[in-house]
Amino acid sequence: MDKAKREKFYNTLIVPVLAIAAGLIVAAILVLSTGNNPLDTFRVLINSGFSCESINRCTFISTLERSTPLILTGLSALVAFRTGVFSLGQEGQMMLGAVMAAWLGYQLHLPNVIHPIVVIIAAVVVGGLYGFIPGLLKVKLGVNELISTIMLNEIAILCLEWAVNFPLRADAGSAAHSHTIQPTAVLPAFLPGSRWGVGFVIAILMAVAIYFLLWKTSLGYEQRMSGNAPRFAKYGGIKNEKAALRGMIISGALAGLAGAIEVLGVNRRIMTGYSVGLGFDGLSVAILGQTHPLGVVIVAILFAGVRLGAQLGLQIQLRIPRELGGVIIAFIILFVATDKLFLNVITWIRAKLAKQPKNQPVEEGSD
Amino acid sequence: MANAVEMRGISKYFSSTEVQANDHVDFSVRDGEIHALVGENGAGKSTLMNILYGLIKPDSGEILIHDQSVKITHPDDAIGLGIGMVHQHFMLVPSFTVAQNIMLGMEPNKYGWLKQKEEIELVNKLAEKYGLPVDPKAKVGELPVGMQQRVEILKTLQRNTKILILDEPTAVLTPQEVRDLMEVVKRLSKEQGQTIIFITHKLVEVIEVADRVTVMRDGKNVGTKDVADTDIPEMARMMVGRDVLFNVKKEFAKPGDLVFEAEKITVASDNGYPAVVDLSLSVRSGEILGIAGVSGNGQTELAEAIAGIRPVESGTIKLDGKFVTQGSVEQRRKNGMAHIPEDRIHMGLNLHTNLDENVLLSRQRQPQFNRFGFIQARKVADFAGQIIDNFDVHGAKPGGSVDTLSGGNMQKIVVGRELSHKPNFILANQPTRGLDVGSIEFVHKTLIEARDEGAGVLLVSVELDEIMSLSDRVAVIYRGQILGEFDISEVTEEKLGILMAGGSLDDPDSGTYQRATAPVDQLPDIG
Repeated sequence: MDKAKREKFYNTLIVPVLAIAAGLIVAAILVLSTGNNPLDTFRVLINSGFSCESINRCTFISTLERSTPLILTGLSALVAFRTGVFSLGQEGQMMLGAVMAAWLGYQLHLPNVIHPIVVIIAAVVVGGLYGFIPGLLKVKLGVNELISTIMLNEIAILCLEWAVNFPLRADAGSAAHSHTIQPTAVLPAFLPGSRWGVGFVIAILMAVAIYFLLWKTSLGYEQRMSGNAPRFAKYGGIKNEKAALRGMIISGALAGLAGAIEVLGVNRRIMTGYSVGLGFDGLSVAILGQTHPLGVVIVAILFAGVRLGAQLGLQIQLRIPRELGGVIIAFIILFVATDKLFLNVITWIRAKLAKQPKNQPVEEGSD
Repeated sequence: MANAVEMRGISKYFSSTEVQANDHVDFSVRDGEIHALVGENGAGKSTLMNILYGLIKPDSGEILIHDQSVKITHPDDAIGLGIGMVHQHFMLVPSFTVAQNIMLGMEPNKYGWLKQKEEIELVNKLAEKYGLPVDPKAKVGELPVGMQQRVEILKTLQRNTKILILDEPTAVLTPQEVRDLMEVVKRLSKEQGQTIIFITHKLVEVIEVADRVTVMRDGKNVGTKDVADTDIPEMARMMVGRDVLFNVKKEFAKPGDLVFEAEKITVASDNGYPAVVDLSLSVRSGEILGIAGVSGNGQTELAEAIAGIRPVESGTIKLDGKFVTQGSVEQRRKNGMAHIPEDRIHMGLNLHTNLDENVLLSRQRQPQFNRFGFIQARKVADFAGQIIDNFDVHGAKPGGSVDTLSGGNMQKIVVGRELSHKPNFILANQPTRGLDVGSIEFVHKTLIEARDEGAGVLLVSVELDEIMSLSDRVAVIYRGQILGEFDISEVTEEKLGILMAGGSLDDPDSGTYQRATAPVDQLPDIG
């Protein structure tokens, strides 16, 4: 029994490690083809994404700043997956949260601490409602949430574009953008010149909260049972439809929160082309993070660091296109998706190792 | 007599589940005999036969067929050597006719055009040769299970099989069909000289049909005996490793108040057709009502409707005197219902999570385990420990996994969870399906104890033995209706068998295969 548990633990740990290693190997081949030394390249990438020489020259702080929305959209996807709904709606929910934040952040005039709280609550409600729609469609009409959430993403992104171009448009400049939010609405940063601040703390608190909600409360118990064993849940009196709806709402709310924090803490306004896929990245973060809050936080930081490293290190220093960072991440995801392959490799190695003592005369523990 | 099959020192270790499924097994079958292979679930009998049929590769060991050492790495090799296997789950195409199924892959043809007349003739000849009459033009999906099995046997024989492996062939049959199969097996052996390996865990069948028997336990061959020299208690002892009680001793029932009443309920199956029609039943406290019937006659739908996980189209259900027809599972459980479901893997348990979360189900909001919405993990673990102790769950510990447990121990967790709150009505749907002799005995004893403590039990089972030994009253279900209800004192297996096949007790010729497969339009109108 212990053995089985340990094995499971190793598998959850080894698979991502092997996947990352395999992703890096393939990336190394690509780097070679650009005529650079892969080892140097990776060193530069890590220096630019994960180094911290002094408080003023600390790229890791930028990485943490960039990981904030990924943590939240990752948690959003996590909640959905753990509840048995395959929501891909993080992007759209996040965009609507951002629109709310940009609008209310500029329009309302409230005192310092109150203002961001009000804006965040509004964005969370909008995100939750936008998750409720596909949830209701699924529960009442049997509409597949995979499809409905993707469609709703498109609608939300176009809503944002419309809002930026018409009602919220700040001036008639070339690129449409909204007004900068009131200073009272800004989420403060910890260090001057950086935007790593309260938003990150909120994201980490959310990860802790989601952990407790899902694993320590009766509500979370019902959500998870409904997610991974719906017949068992139904048999025990848990209402799967309600659980699915709840899951969609909480998931949407987290994505809406991501949008609000991105606007209040980092961008301070929204502009055309604001949707850059941070919501979609949440899906990868959740899956790569083994749909566990701790995993989500780690992977989100890793993602952000590789991206930043690719941008600052590869593009600016080595003149390798920064898309290489995206390519590395894509390969890692691809290899994680083929986790069966790695599991087979592990099993195969184990079998090889197990065979050796069998040749010895004493055979042990085989019944 | 020469050996048709000889397996020497066969070992197989499954590293994924860490089970030594076969441990240096020697197994031999004489030419032309019926050899029963018995053992509890997980004893390794299916693994051994799958090795013989080339579906599993052994770690070590040697196989001899008719005294020739052979390598069998694929079922094609086995078929080439004249070995055929009829699996528990038939490998037939339901939408094809009997002839098409039997000749599948070797259809007589000319320039690629099928010659259907010839096909039917070939099948008729085959059926005549082996004395297994079938209708070559009938659609397999419309045949009763016993007939489908016959088609499967013919399909296997058609490939010049000399050694026929039957994997738990009686598990899905009615008593009459079992009797027919026994005749067929005897005939194939005595008249056609087939060597037959008969996997089962029903010892009565061994006595009835086999010449010799090999018992397996924990992956080892415990012994091979001439059936004439052994008896059921001895075989059971070999299987389990200790003495087994076959008939749970029980006092006469002392029925009390009605704890469950179903009044003219109609329930739809998944595809929308009525599976249960105007059915009425009632159970009193302190008695066990057994529902006998061939599987697929509405038992699943009936049980799910009673349990509250399938809607009732019409009629009423009362638990403990209160109407719960449209009530939630929660409400039913509050009224004292416990439910041991038929599918313990997907419904009774959640194998993706640990034991504690499995025993917590339906109690997660009770104050005992919940404070301000937070689960009291330590109390749940204590509760899990109690269940493990009280119900003697081997290999389990609080917080441990459930998917590594044997079927019997899994069922003990389900039974433990369901009976721990002293229910007054227990719905037990196939509570011993697929369990080994020892676990069956345990579940039976537990149900009787619950009855003696005043619970009313509704036992749904396709095992006649189980119905006969546990029930105080018996009702027979056929196509969603109760065909008869008896006190246990007036029941015989014969009577039940006839009703289970849809026959009538007034008409001695009914209840045979013909009647059981009456076309749909002759059924009572249940729209």
